[in-house]
Amino acid sequence: MNICTLKKAALFSLFLILTHSGISFGENISVTATVDKNNLTLEDSLQLSIVIKGTKNTPPPQLPSLPDFRVTSAGTSSSTQYINTQRSVSITYNFRLTPMNTGTILIGPAKIQINGKNYSTKPINVEVQKSSSSTTTTNKAAFVEASLSSKKAYLGEQLVYTFRLFHRVEAKNLDLQLPFDKSWFSKEELGEPKTYIKVVNGLQYHVQELSIALFPLKKGLIKVPSAIIELDLYHRTQSRTGRDPFNQIFRDPFFGRGVQAEHKVLRSQPLSVVVLPLPGRALKGFKNLIGQFKIAAELGKRDLEVGDTTTLTVTVSGKGNVRDISFDEPNLKNQFKIYPDKPEFKQTVHDNQIMGEKVFKFALVPLEAGTMSLPEFSLPYFDSKNAEYHIAKTQPFFLNIKPSSAKEKLNLVQSRQQDAPATKPEIETLGTDILPIYTELDKLQINGSPSLTFLGAGFGSPVVLFIISAFIMKRQNRMKYDVAFYRRRNAYKNASKRLKQMSEFSDSKEFARELSEILREYIGDKLNLQGKAITAEEVQVRLKESNYEAQQAEETRILIEKCETLQYAPMTQGSTRQLLGESENLIKVLEKQS
Amino acid sequence: MKYSNIISFLLLIILTFSSSLPARASDYLNDIVRANALYTEKRYTESIQVYESLKHEGTNNGYLHYNLGNAYIRMGKTGPAILNYIQAQKWIPRDENLAANLKFAIKQTQDKIEPPPQGTLNVLFFWVNDFNINELVYFSIGINFILWITLILWLKFPILKVTRNALLCVLLLSFLSIGVKINNESNLKLGVVLAENVDVKSGRAEDTITLFQLHEGALVKITDRQDDWLEVRLNDEQKGWVPHKSLGT
Repeated sequence: MNICTLKKAALFSLFLILTHSGISFGENISVTATVDKNNLTLEDSLQLSIVIKGTKNTPPPQLPSLPDFRVTSAGTSSSTQYINTQRSVSITYNFRLTPMNTGTILIGPAKIQINGKNYSTKPINVEVQKSSSSTTTTNKAAFVEASLSSKKAYLGEQLVYTFRLFHRVEAKNLDLQLPFDKSWFSKEELGEPKTYIKVVNGLQYHVQELSIALFPLKKGLIKVPSAIIELDLYHRTQSRTGRDPFNQIFRDPFFGRGVQAEHKVLRSQPLSVVVLPLPGRALKGFKNLIGQFKIAAELGKRDLEVGDTTTLTVTVSGKGNVRDISFDEPNLKNQFKIYPDKPEFKQTVHDNQIMGEKVFKFALVPLEAGTMSLPEFSLPYFDSKNAEYHIAKTQPFFLNIKPSSAKEKLNLVQSRQQDAPATKPEIETLGTDILPIYTELDKLQINGSPSLTFLGAGFGSPVVLFIISAFIMKRQNRMKYDVAFYRRRNAYKNASKRLKQMSEFSDSKEFARELSEILREYIGDKLNLQGKAITAEEVQVRLKESNYEAQQAEETRILIEKCETLQYAPMTQGSTRQLLGESENLIKVLEKQS
Repeated sequence: MKYSNIISFLLLIILTFSSSLPARASDYLNDIVRANALYTEKRYTESIQVYESLKHEGTNNGYLHYNLGNAYIRMGKTGPAILNYIQAQKWIPRDENLAANLKFAIKQTQDKIEPPPQGTLNVLFFWVNDFNINELVYFSIGINFILWITLILWLKFPILKVTRNALLCVLLLSFLSIGVKINNESNLKLGVVLAENVDVKSGRAEDTITLFQLHEGALVKITDRQDDWLEVRLNDEQKGWVPHKSLGT
């Protein structure tokens, strides 16, 4: 088999492969929808798979409206198969559908557009039933419960919502949705979820407990809907070949054998709470504080001088919305200068109740001497436990302020420290003002914006300068190295100069010889030839070749021949002048044509 | 004969322009001297009138805006003062007195809003804010001239290739700087509240919700204009519409 035959065989094989792959790819497109189950309970979820055969490059399908399900994507998978050189491809889009209602629910057709053609799946009916044992917890692998700390609360009072997940088997991939409406409650986390073990009906359960503090924002009967948790439960399956040591190893969940995963959707019971408005008339200064609170105050130095500093610390602690407590500066105008500090807040959780402590600090600098009293701090709040208003108060403080002795002491210190190196005096800023106006007229001159002409000249003139310079330099360079160019450029100048000097020749023979030489040298310079050696006929031929007009070429030949003849015949004064004029005219005409 | 005619014509034009320009300039300088004198005599209202008339004639001078801003500060009108200081910054961006007075004026306002920070381009072209547009243009013309002269010399002395490339880079950079400056001046439009207080509305009507209130001298970024309403923005969250007449731009 020669090389040519091999090449043909290879090309034929390639052709076959290409044509076969073309047939299997992109043809016989079909779209189908399947579900893994069509009879399920509210605790289950189903997987909807949309399989597209015949192509892999498709956009995701457009699902129908599914108000009775919560839809989450469960990924895509694609496959390529070769059966008897026939290639088939497919892509599967998976969705997890969690039922929200019971009854017969229709999953409408999903739509997809492939290569401009529309495809749709067939509708599917599924039956959703209530959980068979939704009210009992007997023998269940997992169940949930939710509770509120009270069925009755005042507006703004702290309520604790507790959600518990009980599971006997391993639970993973937990996705919890808590059902609080922001318009009804404001909420606050109560720390990380707790985990413990509890025995229910003789069965041991792992419990995961999450608590949240809720503060009702509206009065009336508020319904708290079910909390929904989706999770995967891992059940261990019993095997009769359990004694096999290899089976023991491969039954480990790590290898995914001996373990069966079950996806579950668990719902807690819906709850309700009656929110009551605050009773009676609120106390003066009441700022929606509900709970039980204590207030305490502490003062630093009580005997001090004018200009000294003492600190007043007010601490509020208790159960309820401590974070929201604020105090205005005490009204001590003209007696003290007050510098309030940023309040410090600490929150703790005890028995699923938010406890808090907020500390307010005020630095006080007395401005006058004498006995001063600090007003008490009062905190009106509503005690939800006893359903009555209270006022928590601090005790009043009395301070003994002496006149300042700082002046005398300062002088004393200064006199002692005379030998110490002088420190930079601290200069107190007494006031601020603007800096003066500008009066220098050179600064206040009119500043015009540059005109377009100026901009054009500014940016364009250097370019023009460059172009001219480049042209001159190029020409100079050519004159230096290109002999033909140099001769051509200087031909007319040299010939004119020599013609002007012709009057010096009185001898007619010499005149004719010189004129003939000038003409031939001019032609030689123009055509880059040896002018002296060229004949009259040759001049005519060369001029024609160089695109000079035939008439001028002939006139030139005649003039040169005339000059050559006159070298051997005497000439009159008038005929020399005529010949000179003829020569000058001819050179001018030739120069124009060049 | 021909040449003498052209020269005479050119001389006539030069004389015409040269005689008209100094007259206008001298009037302007007389007014400036008068306004400065009025300011010194603490006749601030009158000095403002003179400065404002010069400003309305279209005089572009940063120091004029600065002096006018000072006069407004003396009158207790922080809004127009800040507006004039901001306008002065366009022409004299490196002036320390201007920066100090603008800071002082902002301190006097209730909202105490500092000029908004510049964008990423201004971080890269950090020098752009220190020059006015004329300075950047003159610099570019200068560099352009030096570059082309270097190009002429480079034709004769090829060793100047590095200098040529460096100058080309500087010229490109100066053109980009002009671009950034123009972009800044067209995109970052600042407005100053001139009224005592202004309700910032959620829409372009008086009966829409008041989102927040601004007070005299508050500096805002203007992001849009529709009819007689301007969209102003304080930050990513606070924006709304105010009547055009309540802002100085």
